[in-house]
Amino acid sequence: MMRLTPGLRASLFGLGALVLTLLGAWLLFGRGTSPLQTDLLAMLPPTERQPVAEEAVERLSRASGDRLVFLLASKNDDDAKDAARTFGAALAGKPGIASAIAELPPFDLDQLTTPFLPFRFHLLTAADRALWQAPSPDVAGMLTRRLNEPFGAGIGTRLTDDPFGTLQHWLNTQPFNRSTLIPEDDLLTAHRGDTTYVMVIATLAGSSYDDQIQRPALASVEAATHTVTAAHPDVHILRTGTMFYAAAARAGAERDVHVVGIASTVGIALLLIGVFRSPRPLLLAFLSTAIGVIAAITITIAIFGQLHLLTLVFGAALLGEAVDYSIQYLCARANAAQAWNAEAGVRQVRPALLLALATSLLGYALLGMVPFPALRQMACFAIVGMLVACFSVLWLLPALARPAARRPVSPALSRIALSWQRPVSTLAQARRGLVVLGVLVVAAAPGWCLLDHDDDIHLLISPPAVLEQDTRDIASIAGMGTGSQFYLVQGDTVEQTLQHEEALTARLQAMIEAKQLDAWTGVTTMLPSAQRQQSNRDAFARVLENRSVLADAAEKAGFRAGALDAFANAWPGRPMTLDDWMAMPVSMPFHYLWMGQRGHAFASIVLPQGQDDSAQLAAAADGLPGITFVDKPASVSALFGRYRGYADVWLGAALLLVGVAFAWRYGLRAAPRVLAPPLLGIGLTLAALGYLGQPLTLFHVMALMLVLGVGANYAVFLREGEPHTAQRPGAAYAGVLLSAITALLSFGLLALSTMPALRHFGTTLLLGIGFTVLLAPVSLPRETSR
Amino acid sequence: MRYLLLFLLCLLPVGLAHADATAPRPALLDQVLQQLARHGKVRANFTQTRENPALAQPQASHGDLLFVVGHGMIWHMREPLEDTLVMTPSGASRIDANGDIAPVRDGNRGVTQVSQMLQSMLAGNADEPLRQFDVTVEGSLAHWSMRFTPRQSRMAKVLAAIQLSGNEYLQAIDVELRSGEATRIRFENTRDAGELTGVEQRALGGP
Repeated sequence: MMRLTPGLRASLFGLGALVLTLLGAWLLFGRGTSPLQTDLLAMLPPTERQPVAEEAVERLSRASGDRLVFLLASKNDDDAKDAARTFGAALAGKPGIASAIAELPPFDLDQLTTPFLPFRFHLLTAADRALWQAPSPDVAGMLTRRLNEPFGAGIGTRLTDDPFGTLQHWLNTQPFNRSTLIPEDDLLTAHRGDTTYVMVIATLAGSSYDDQIQRPALASVEAATHTVTAAHPDVHILRTGTMFYAAAARAGAERDVHVVGIASTVGIALLLIGVFRSPRPLLLAFLSTAIGVIAAITITIAIFGQLHLLTLVFGAALLGEAVDYSIQYLCARANAAQAWNAEAGVRQVRPALLLALATSLLGYALLGMVPFPALRQMACFAIVGMLVACFSVLWLLPALARPAARRPVSPALSRIALSWQRPVSTLAQARRGLVVLGVLVVAAAPGWCLLDHDDDIHLLISPPAVLEQDTRDIASIAGMGTGSQFYLVQGDTVEQTLQHEEALTARLQAMIEAKQLDAWTGVTTMLPSAQRQQSNRDAFARVLENRSVLADAAEKAGFRAGALDAFANAWPGRPMTLDDWMAMPVSMPFHYLWMGQRGHAFASIVLPQGQDDSAQLAAAADGLPGITFVDKPASVSALFGRYRGYADVWLGAALLLVGVAFAWRYGLRAAPRVLAPPLLGIGLTLAALGYLGQPLTLFHVMALMLVLGVGANYAVFLREGEPHTAQRPGAAYAGVLLSAITALLSFGLLALSTMPALRHFGTTLLLGIGFTVLLAPVSLPRETSR
Repeated sequence: MRYLLLFLLCLLPVGLAHADATAPRPALLDQVLQQLARHGKVRANFTQTRENPALAQPQASHGDLLFVVGHGMIWHMREPLEDTLVMTPSGASRIDANGDIAPVRDGNRGVTQVSQMLQSMLAGNADEPLRQFDVTVEGSLAHWSMRFTPRQSRMAKVLAAIQLSGNEYLQAIDVELRSGEATRIRFENTRDAGELTGVEQRALGGP
C-alpha cells in the first residue's frame, strides 16, 4: 500500500465522497425517471421452470397492467350513468391518462354475426354436435324447434342464414356474449340487487410502475373522483388496476422511509448528544454514516440500474449499524481525554473495527449469494455502506477529530453499563456459566418447539384492504378472472396446440358439469382445432351433401320452396383459421390468450374461473401432453420456503465462519466465549418468536443473519475495547450499549413498517440485538471481570 | 343479439313501461302494474304464431306456461313437438320426457336474466325496461294495450315495436321486427296456478 500522510488520505477520501455524492444525486434526480422500483414482484427471481410460463405471467399482468378499471355504483340508475359519463369526460386527456372510455363506440348488431357466416358449417356447440352426430338426426324436428322457440327467434342470426340455429347456439357460448356487463344507454352496465354499476376504463399513458406516470395519473383520478362525488354524492366509485397497487406500495414504503429514517436520525442524535455532551462527535458520526449511505445508494443504482423500495427502507435502517464504527472511535476519543492522539486512536480501534467489518461483510456476502434480486441488492447496499462507513472512520475522521474531547463519555451510561456487565460477567464464569446456560436452554426449549413457519406470498405484499375489496367486487360484478392461476398450453404446431387445449377443456367442462368450476376462457372456445372443425363439418355432411334431405325437411317444417337454397349453396364454406380469428374485431380483447410461436413451439393460455383450490385445478392437467398448470402465488410461496431452507443452512455456515475467525484471533479456548452472545442471542430470539406465535419466514431468518453480524461486532468491540479502558470500568461496554441502542432505534423501528416482510425483519432484529447486547459481557475473559 | 332478446324478454310476459324515465309515468301504467302484480303464480295456455317471409304459412305452436314470481317460468310446448324449457335466475334448463332436468349450456343467457327482471318488475319495480323503451298506454284497466318502441338506435334497426295488451291478466304479445318477421303470442284460460307438481318445484328451485 502506498504511504500517504493522514491529511492527504483524508482529503482524498473527502474528494471521493464528494464525487460519489454528485454522481448519486445525478442518478437519483438528474435523469427524468425515478430509479425507485415499486413493482414488488420484480424483485423476485423467476419461479417457473419454463421461461415461456414466466412470459405468460408477464403477458397476463400486462393485459390488465396499464389499465384502470372503475365501476360507478349507485342505487339511482340515472345518477350512476350520469356520473360515469362525467367521470369518463373528467378523466380523458388528463395528465398520465392516455384514454378513458365510458360510452361505447357505435357498432352494428350485424357485426356480431356476419363475420361468422363463412364458417357456419365448421362450428358446433357440444350439445349440437351430439344431436348432429346421432345415427339418424331428426332434421325436420330441429327446424321445427328453432321455428317455435319461446317468444320467437329471428333475433340474432337470420332464419335463412342459420335455419337450425347452430351458429346462434355457438355464438351464445362465445366469451364476448357472456359478459355480465351489457350495453345500456351506450354504457357498459350491470345491475346487482337495487344497485346499478357502470364501467369506465382508462388506459395509462405509460407503465403503472413509472413514477412519472403514476403521480399525475393518481392526481387525475382523484380530481375526477372529486368532480363526480361533488355532483353525485350518492355515487360510490370502485377502482382497481396495477397502478393503484404500485402506488399503495410506494406510499407505504415512503412512509416507512420517513418514519424509520427521521425517527432513527433524531433518536441517534439525541442519544449521541446526551452521551458525548458535545456537538462535534454528533457531526462526525453523522458524516461517517451519511457518506456510507450515499455511497451505498450510488453504487447500488450504478450496478442494478434501479433501487428497489425494499432496499431503500432496509437502507434507512442500516444507518444504525453504520454508525457503530464512528461510535467506537468517538468513545475511544472521549475515554482518552487529554491523552488523545487521533492517529493513535485509529491504531487502537482498528483491529476491532476491521474484525467487526469482516464479520458483517461475511454475513452480507452470504446474503448476496442468494439468487434473489432483492436480497442481492440489499447485500450490495449493505456491503458498500458498511465498507465506506468503516473506512471513513479509519481515514477521514482522524483529520476531523484532532482536538481531544472536552468531556468523557457520560458517566451515567458507564455506570449503567458497569452495573449490568459485572453480574453477567460473573455469572458467566466457570461452572456457574454452564448452569446459567442450561437454565437458558431449558427456558427457551418450549419456545423452539412452538416455532412454526409460513411462506405465504401475502407476507410480502399487503395491499390496502379497501383496494382488495374493490378488486374482488369488480372481478365478481364484471366477471373477470384474476389471472394469477392459469394453464399454459404448448404444441409443435398451431393445430397441435389447439388439440392439446381441447383435451384440457374437455376435462374443465366435466368439472363445470360437476359444479367444481364456474367457467374457463381459452382460444378454442372461439377457434376450434382444424380436427374438431372437420368433425363438425362431417356431422353436417349427411344432410347438406344430399339436397333432397334438406329440401324435404324444410318443406315439412313449413319453409317456402327454395327458402333455404342460399343456405344449401353456402355449403361447405371453409374452416376458421388462426388468421381469420385474429382478424375479427370481436376477438381483439382475447388476443392475449394466444401467445403465438415461442422458439419451435406454439403456446396459448386457458384461464379457469370459480375454483380456488389449486390442487383441483392442477389435477385437471395431470397426464395431458403440453399442458402446464401455472400458479404464481403458490410458486412464489414455494420459492420463499425454499430460500428459507437455504437461509437456515447459510446461518449455520456463517456461524461457523465467524467461529473460525474468532478462533484465529482469540484461540480455540476463548472463541466459544466470544461467539456465545450472538449464538445465544439467535437462540433466544427464536424461542421468543415461538412464544409470540410468529411463524418463521424468510425475512426472520434474514434478520437473524444480521443479528449474527451485529452480535459478533458487539462481542468483538467489548473484548477488544476492554483492555484500553482499564482505567474507566464499564467504558467499553458503554460504547457497545451505545451501538446497540442506535441499532435498536433504527432497525427496531422497522417493526412499525407497513410491509409485513419488513415488520418481521424489524421484530426479529429488536429481539435479537436486545438479547445479544445483554449477553455481550459474557465474551469478556475471566481476568478483567474480577 | 343477446341484448336485444334480453330486452324483449324482459318486457314480454309482464309488459309495463313508460315513455321516459324522466317523464311522468302514466297513471294507467302503474295501475296495470299493480293489477298484474296481484298474481304471483300464474298458468295460461299459449298459442304462438310466427310470421317470416321465408315461411310458406305462419308457424304456430301451442302449450302452457307457468310463471312464478321469484323463481322463473316454464314454457311447455305441446304442439308441434314436445319441448319444455325452464328459465330461472340461475340459468336455462330443459325437462325431458322422463322429467329429468338438464342445463342448456348454449342457450341465450339473456333468457336467464329475464326471469330476474320479471321478478323485480312484478314486485313493482319496472325501471329496467323503462330505460330501454318509449311506451304509450291506451285503454282502461279492463282492457289496456301498451306499445314499446326501442330508444336506442342500435336496437331500433332490428326491432320495430312490441305491443302488449290484456285485462286483469296479460292476454297478448306482438313482436314486430324490421325484417318483416313477427311473433304473436295469445294467452287463454289464464288463472292462478295453485299447487305446483314435483317436477315443476324441482325445476324452479322449490317455490
